[in-house]
Amino acid sequence: MSKILIVEDDRTLCEELSVLLEKAGYTVGKIEVFDNVHLQMKKSDADLILLDINLPGENGEVILQKYRKISDTPIIMLTSSAEDIDEVLSMSYGADDYITKPYNPTILLLRITAVLKRSQKTGQTQMYNDIQVNLASGSISGNGKEQILTKNEMIIFGLLLDNKGEIVSRDEMMTVLWDNDEYLNDNALSVNISRLRTKLSELGIGDAIETRKKQGYLLK
Amino acid sequence: MKLLEYIKDRIPVYVAKTVEVFVIITFLIAFKVKSQAIIVVTFVFVMTFLFVEIWEYMRKREFYNTLKKSLEELDKKYLLPELIEYPDFYEGKIYIDTLRECDKSMTEHVADYRRQNKDFREYIEMWVHEAKIPVASLRLMCHNSDKPETKMTAQIKRIDDYIENVLYYARSENAERDYVIKEVSIKKIFGSVAVKNREILQILDAQIKTTGLDVMVLTDGKWLEFIIGQLMANSIKYCSEDRQLMLEVWADNLDKCVIFHFKDNGKGIIKEDIPYIFEKTFTGHNGRGNKSSTGMGLYISKKLCSKLGHRIEVISEYGEYTEVRIIFAKNDFYKME
Repeated sequence: MSKILIVEDDRTLCEELSVLLEKAGYTVGKIEVFDNVHLQMKKSDADLILLDINLPGENGEVILQKYRKISDTPIIMLTSSAEDIDEVLSMSYGADDYITKPYNPTILLLRITAVLKRSQKTGQTQMYNDIQVNLASGSISGNGKEQILTKNEMIIFGLLLDNKGEIVSRDEMMTVLWDNDEYLNDNALSVNISRLRTKLSELGIGDAIETRKKQGYLLK
Repeated sequence: MKLLEYIKDRIPVYVAKTVEVFVIITFLIAFKVKSQAIIVVTFVFVMTFLFVEIWEYMRKREFYNTLKKSLEELDKKYLLPELIEYPDFYEGKIYIDTLRECDKSMTEHVADYRRQNKDFREYIEMWVHEAKIPVASLRLMCHNSDKPETKMTAQIKRIDDYIENVLYYARSENAERDYVIKEVSIKKIFGSVAVKNREILQILDAQIKTTGLDVMVLTDGKWLEFIIGQLMANSIKYCSEDRQLMLEVWADNLDKCVIFHFKDNGKGIIKEDIPYIFEKTFTGHNGRGNKSSTGMGLYISKKLCSKLGHRIEVISEYGEYTEVRIIFAKNDFYKME
């Protein structure tokens, strides 16, 4: 599993972040002493770094600039600053993403997955058992048949696939859909899931998505 | 400077001079001076006086007319003492020196307030950053907790909104330009506002229709996000009780400008209130009996809009709908201003 390094000086926040990330299955590293942060970051050998901007000593943006000279590990900037200029600067110094506090935990995890995927260059095709899932063209094929999924259905299926074997709550699904500019309401989500099931059963895997009462859905 | 007014002002001098001439003439007659000589003396006396008087009038007229004209042409009147040429007569010199002194004192006074204002704003900015850290921690604690803490999350969202309000109020009241104008996607901004309000919108079972939002506008992304957030908050706060909340959001991409529309099917605003809705602390008909109406949201939004050079308008029919439009100028238009 990927290792994430948290560079955040507020103890409580740092603690909560690591609980969140550990629950999501990542290995977490922290920085305790805030000098020569960029060297500590390099030594940590993480796959992704969460970097706060307001740090004691050197500012996160300065650390980012220094770090970019020695490594290109993906970095997500976390900040409580609500100024556009910080975002513009961070991105130009080579940050991969920029999230302001207080962040929506689901979206934070989502962004982490997205950045990791980008850096690991996973292709546009993924496999689910014998079914080939093509995220770019929005189609799934298997057993000699092909089904075209709508954008919403693809987002839902992609999310279930990323969390295969784990429960995904309706709330998480909604957050991800809304984050993709699809503003569904509760009914519409149910409709989309049942349509997705119909399409999957055409490929012979109608029972792949399991409903867990009051918890969510699970891709077996 | 009017001639007639000037003459009126000088009447005591003229009276004194006339008396003087008569006294001299009487003396000259008494000393039995020849009448030709009396005429010459009187003539020289009167002519010299007239010459001096006209010269005096002319140079004063020039000074005061320039002064008046400069004052009329200036948009910042207090800059006058800096602009006016130093006069060559004594009264004028006193006058300008006094003005300059006043101006200097005023400038110092203003600078002092400006400094205080800046300090206060910097403190607010810092405070907001600090306050957001425990809010972020709380948000994560709710998420990490074993049972879903939706009620707490909703309250945390409220705290966060109030914090944002303070920040943007401080920004809107301050004269400093600290925004970054760049190309921003309306779709992206609306998206983040929608995600932030997702929980409550879902509880209300709101329907959101977006069309043609894939437009780039020149603005400060964070400020626009705050403004649209205020519109969203209003639509949620003043939704109609007897029908499902429906939001229609779209953008018209025109030659000269982009118009962003944000329309709800809520309570609407009564006609009499519409001219005042952007005024500070105005709560109006809908706000009465609603404790959470502060009358600040639209006021701050309007101020931010005018700083960024956007126009904001509200159209509404009571009991039917409210539509807010934000008009963004396009690049060449923006440069022309």
